[in-house]
Parts: sequence; C-alpha cells; structure tokens
Amino acid sequence: MIVVNNTMDINEDDEQLGETSEEDNSELSDGELQDAFAKGLLKPGLNFTTQEPKKIVNNVEGLKQCLADFRKNTLPWVERLDMVNLPADDIVAKSEGRLDNKASGDLNPDDDFQREMFFYRQAQAAVLEAMPRLQKLKIATKRPEDYFAEMAKSDQQMQKIRKKLIMKQTMMEKSEKAKKLREQRKYGKKVQVEVIQKRQKEKKAMMSAVKKYQKGMTDKLDFLEGDQKTAKGGAPAKGGAGKGAGGQTPDKKAMNKKGPNAKRKYKDQRFGFGGKKSGTKWNTKDSHNDVSGFRAKVAHGKGGKGGKGGKAGPGGKGGRGPAKGGTKRPGKNARKKMKGRS
Amino acid sequence: MSVLKRKRGGQGPGVKAKKVKFVQNGMKPQITETEQNNEISVPAPVSMGKWRNKERVLVFSSRGINFRTRHLMQDLRTMMPHTKADTKMDRKDKLFVINEVCEIKNCNKCIFFEAKKKQDLYMWVANVPHGPSAKFLVQNVHTLAELKMTGNCLKGSRPLLSFDPQFDKEPHYALLKELFIQTFSTPQYHPRSQPFVDHVFTFTVTDNRIWFRNYQIIEEDASMVEIGPRFVLNLIKIFQGSFGGPTLFENPHFESPNTHRRLIRMATASKLREKQMVKELQKLKRTENKEVVTRDVTDDVFATPAEERPVHIELEAPAAKVVKKNKHKAFKRQRNQKR
Repeated sequence: MIVVNNTMDINEDDEQLGETSEEDNSELSDGELQDAFAKGLLKPGLNFTTQEPKKIVNNVEGLKQCLADFRKNTLPWVERLDMVNLPADDIVAKSEGRLDNKASGDLNPDDDFQREMFFYRQAQAAVLEAMPRLQKLKIATKRPEDYFAEMAKSDQQMQKIRKKLIMKQTMMEKSEKAKKLREQRKYGKKVQVEVIQKRQKEKKAMMSAVKKYQKGMTDKLDFLEGDQKTAKGGAPAKGGAGKGAGGQTPDKKAMNKKGPNAKRKYKDQRFGFGGKKSGTKWNTKDSHNDVSGFRAKVAHGKGGKGGKGGKAGPGGKGGRGPAKGGTKRPGKNARKKMKGRS
Repeated sequence: MSVLKRKRGGQGPGVKAKKVKFVQNGMKPQITETEQNNEISVPAPVSMGKWRNKERVLVFSSRGINFRTRHLMQDLRTMMPHTKADTKMDRKDKLFVINEVCEIKNCNKCIFFEAKKKQDLYMWVANVPHGPSAKFLVQNVHTLAELKMTGNCLKGSRPLLSFDPQFDKEPHYALLKELFIQTFSTPQYHPRSQPFVDHVFTFTVTDNRIWFRNYQIIEEDASMVEIGPRFVLNLIKIFQGSFGGPTLFENPHFESPNTHRRLIRMATASKLREKQMVKELQKLKRTENKEVVTRDVTDDVFATPAEERPVHIELEAPAAKVVKKNKHKAFKRQRNQKR
C-alpha cells in the first residue's frame, strides 16, 4: 500500500477547504514503483493508493510561543480595558428556582432568548466589575449633560428607531383596546338579553295570572301585590286594589309589607293614576251635601266621636291606618269582594 | 455654564488650533522641524503627547462583497476610531500583498474581509509585520442600522472588552483573545477617541463559535441596550505569520460552507433517488411474468343457491321516468283530505 502525503502550501488555502481529491496515479511511474519494490517498501499483491488520514494541526507549543512573543506586557490595563468574567447572576431564574448553568458550554445556541440573555449578563458582570476600577483611574463612564459630540448613530437613525418603537406600542395598545371593547360588547349584549328575557317572563306570568283571575280560576289577588297596574277593560273595577300596590315591584313587597304609607294612599285615592280626571272625586256642592254615606253606628261607635264627627266624606277614611280598633265595618278588600259578588 | 460643543480629541475651549505662533507646551518632539518657521501655523498636537499606544488597524475588503458586509465594515470603522480604510483589493493578488499595503498605510493590525461566491464572508484578523493571523467564517451579520438595535454611543468612545472564561482555557483561544484585545481596544488618548467608556464588546464561545455583541452602558448599575453590530465568527485556522506561515491551529469543528451546501443537496438528492428506485422496482414488478392461476379462489363467494332465470334482453329503451318535482304537495293534499 502506498501512502501518499499531500503536502499543502499555505497559498492553496482555498483548495484545502474543499474536498480532498484522490492522488493522481500518473505521477508514479513504473520506474519509481520498481525502486520502491526493491527497497522493500512495496509488498507483493494488489496495491492501491489511499489518503493519509487528515491530521488536524494543533500546535500547542507553537501557540504558546507565539502568544508569548505577541503579548504586549508593557501595556497597562487602562489601555486595554479587558475583562474575563462569567455572566452575572440571573435573578429571574434564581427566583424561579431553576438551576442556572453558568458556563457558556452548557448554553444551547438554538435557544435565542436564553443565549442573548447569557451574553447580556456577561456584559453586565463586566460592567459591574469594571466600574470601580475605572473610577479609581478617574475615567468617566457617564458623559455630562452639556457634552455634545457626534454619536455612532445619527439623530435621524435614532428618530427612526423611536418612531418604530412608538408604533409598535400603539399597535399593541390598539389591539388591546379593541379586544376589551369586543369583550365588553359581548358582555353588555348578554346582560341586555338577560334583562329583556326576565321582563318578558314577568309580563307573561302577570298576564296569565290576571287571565286566571278573570276567568275565575283563582280568587287570590296576590299577583297584584307589588306589580304594575293591570289594564283589563270589562273586568270588574279593581282600581282600589291596584292603588295599594301602585308603583311597587314584587321585590319590594317584602320590604313594604304594610303597603304604601297613608299619605301615598290618600294621594292615590284623591288624584288617581294620572290621565284626565273623571271628575268623580271632586268636592262639589252636591258631593258635600250628600250624606248618604253616613252610618250613625259607625260614626258613634268609633270611641269618642273622633275629630269632625261622622259627617266627613267617606273617601277620606278609606284606608287610614291598619288598626281600626273595634269597628265592625269590614275592610276595604272585603268590601270590594262583597261588591264584586253582589 | 454655557453649552460647549466639544471637538473630538480633547481640545478645550481656550486652545486655538490655527495660527499659533508659539508651539504649546507639552508637544511631541516630532514637531521640532516646524519650530524654525514660526510664522507657519502649526496645529497643536491634539493628544497633548499622551497617546503612546500606537495601534492602527486597517479595515478593508476584497471585491464582490454585498451591502451587508459593506455596512459591517463601515460600522467597525465607526466603532473603532483607530481604524483606517483602504480600497478594495483585487482577488488576483496573493494575500501577502496585504502586508505591504498595511506597511504603506502605517498600520500594525489588519481586518480583511473576503467574499466568496457572493455568499460566504471570510474575515482575516492579523498582526501585520510578524505576528499571528487568524481566518474566520463570518455568519449572522447584523449591522448598526437595524431598527431593533436601539442603543447608541459616542462615536469613538473607548470600549470595555469582556471575554468568556473559556478564552483562558485553551491555548488557541488565549492567542485569539490577545489578538482581539490588541485589535479592538481603542488606545487611550487617541486623537479621535472620546474619553468616556460607555459601551462593552462581548466575546463569548458557544457551539465552537465566537459570538460578538456590542452593548451600550446606560446606567452605572449595568442596565444595557444593544447597539450593534453583531456577528458570529467561526474559526478556520490560525497561522504563525501574517497572512501566511505555518499553521498553528486548525479548527476540527469547522465545516466549510461548500461542504455544508453539498450535504444539504446530497440529502435532498438521496431522497429523490430513493423515490426513483422505488418507482423502478414497481415497474419491474408490473412487467415480470405473472403465473397463471387456474382456479380463482374468490369464484364462489357470490354463489347463491337460486334458480336460474332466463336472460331477458331489452330491445326497447325503458320508459322515461316521470320526475315528480313537487311530490310533497300530493302528500299534503292527501293529508288534508284525510282530516
């Protein structure tokens, strides 16, 4: 086997980097081969040329020698300003309890963020170490406020950068706002739908209850308590009953079990429910002179002929106060019922 | 205190550069020849004689570079005030010509960019007269002009250099570190330098490559922003001489861009070849002689025991089917009738 050395010259750098080619056999003439056989370098049998396994040069001694020659030992540190340092502590990783791998060998070069943070921390550590040294040597690191000098990047460039940053921020804010608005609208819509449905349900229930009462299926007028006024034409007048509950919602029923206060009742009775007054409740001469509503027993039996005596208008005494104290006169509802029945 | 527009290089407000009849105190001895003619205006020595570390770096390139490399070169010249530029070198000239060019320009370091195939960028960093030189493949170049690099620094301010501890572990990295320090650090009191130290160069070894970053120091508590440029250097070889000489170190992990591209092409080619081979095999299978099977195994699958019916051949076309579009209407009528 003939082993051929490809001695490479430095000027043929470029070819080196490509693939190594096979040795050209025509260089070895027969004469040379015979000589080699005679010397004993060749053995009988089939011989073919191979490449020597490529030796990677690592001349450690040479490197060290070169470094020693090349190094400028007369230069003080202040001229070079070089530092060797590991990256600074990673606060974030420590707080999360992760193992921070300090060496650069452990760094995964494909994880962009981790890698860049590693470089950043290395720079930070360098600065932290160098600051006290520079301060000792009286070299400033911060330029004073009135020091104007040319910067590496022109003002125009910095303006562009600033504009881009601002644009990015505004876009983000806009998208955030749009998202929030969409959420709000959705929520608002939901709430609105709910409220409408609730109202419709209530209305339906009310109507059905009223119808039931009309048809005589139930004789309880509970559904009217705390409810809106009913508008049933042809039905027996329930105006009086409605007055007690005018303007109250069912929710407030529990709160105002006594019903509206006396003043309210009086005013409702007097002034009705709005609209053109029918004129039936006016104090006219005739109504004043009408004493048909006077019941002597009731008037005298009230215990001391209270106030103005029994000649006062009957409407005024209608719903005043719940406690009647010994009157035999039935209550308004009872009277209404009786009225309705007869 | 009034706002001072400070000229680069240390001239205070009281110094007049032009028409100085008497040379200032503390001048360098080099200007003794002009002492004879006091009427000739002599600019005062800018550095006041304190600039001792005379490092000059020549930054130039070969032909065929693209815009990114050109910008990178410009950025390096902006960042390092101790650099000089030169015209593009022809590819035909051998590399040792660069030594002569540097000598002419009185530079003792050189950064030479070489572009091959308009794709690959190689960078030589060399100490010119005798010293070592190194060749790198440059990748992932980002220049100063990129809008994501938001930092800024004084033009010509001195940098702080930060190295990874790995640079001290291997001898070849130690040599590279020394080379970088001497090339990249701005000499103190350089006439074009600013006296402040407001940015950091970091060199880190990861994935057998050297990563270069440039950060601006904003606060004393080390909050930083990247200025740029940034690049990745893949070491190829270190030579003992400048642009020549015996090889001191060869990077075993280096894969030339040509081989890299070739590998990718081979991978796709092999996939294609496999597909073709499979197709050929299928063709072969189709054309080869197939043995005749006498009995069909599946013959009696559908054999149902039923009597044979005479085959009825229809000679006339069947009647056209009446399409009832509104079938449902009939049903509906029927339904209504039912009720």
